[in-house]
Amino acid sequence: MSERLQAAFPGLGTTSFQITSPPDFNYNCIAWAAGVVSDWWWPIGDARETYWPEGPERQITLDAFIAAFQTLGYAACGNDSLEAGFEKIAIFTDPNRKPTHAARQLPNGRWTSKLGYSEDIEHELRALEGAIYGSVVLFMRKPL
Amino acid sequence: MITTPPQSPPRPAMGETTEQRLRRLEGQWKSETEFLSDAGKIVEHPAFKAIIALGDPVVPLLLSDLEARPSLWVWALPRITGENPVPPSDGGNIPKMTDAWLKWGHEKGLR
Repeated sequence: MSERLQAAFPGLGTTSFQITSPPDFNYNCIAWAAGVVSDWWWPIGDARETYWPEGPERQITLDAFIAAFQTLGYAACGNDSLEAGFEKIAIFTDPNRKPTHAARQLPNGRWTSKLGYSEDIEHELRALEGAIYGSVVLFMRKPL
Repeated sequence: MITTPPQSPPRPAMGETTEQRLRRLEGQWKSETEFLSDAGKIVEHPAFKAIIALGDPVVPLLLSDLEARPSLWVWALPRITGENPVPPSDGGNIPKMTDAWLKWGHEKGLR
């Protein structure tokens, strides 16, 4: 199982990571970063197919994702350092700046991600950068 | 962005039943989309579109899968049937969407 993940995300092969849940169709990475396990968050057009917060546009743009996390109290911040009293998320985009993934920082400074409809993992943030998720382009934080 | 480049379009194998074809396409679809969150890319994958192209005969099989476990077949069924029993308030809640489709299947005598 780990080999499958390492093949998809080569960075996991050179850093430590743990699988923390079995595969689950019920939520995706954006929901997991938002602390939700009951919905699939994605801004496609038909509201009967995916969840997206009221207000932000249903567009696959970085602005729409920023606005979605703002509805939860997050604001953009400068880095991935662990800050007492705050929870952080990181948004990944492809080279065209289309969002692909989000991860959430844990109290120990490591990061947790739901991989599509596959497993949750605890990992080093940059270990998921690459062909599938692109790169981290933005950090946001909210007070705990 | 997908895990590996999709084979487009998936080729039908001779003599396959609808269920065999479904399982083959499902395996390809899962292996190439399992790490994606982008619902648009998941449903636009060639294997997913090939499952939709199987049409009405695959609907009872998808409903049977949903009976066993909620899944993303809730995104295939509207594209096959042209119907969608899911209220907008339940959009994205895969278990509730599954329940709506199972109720729909019962009303249609498909399960």
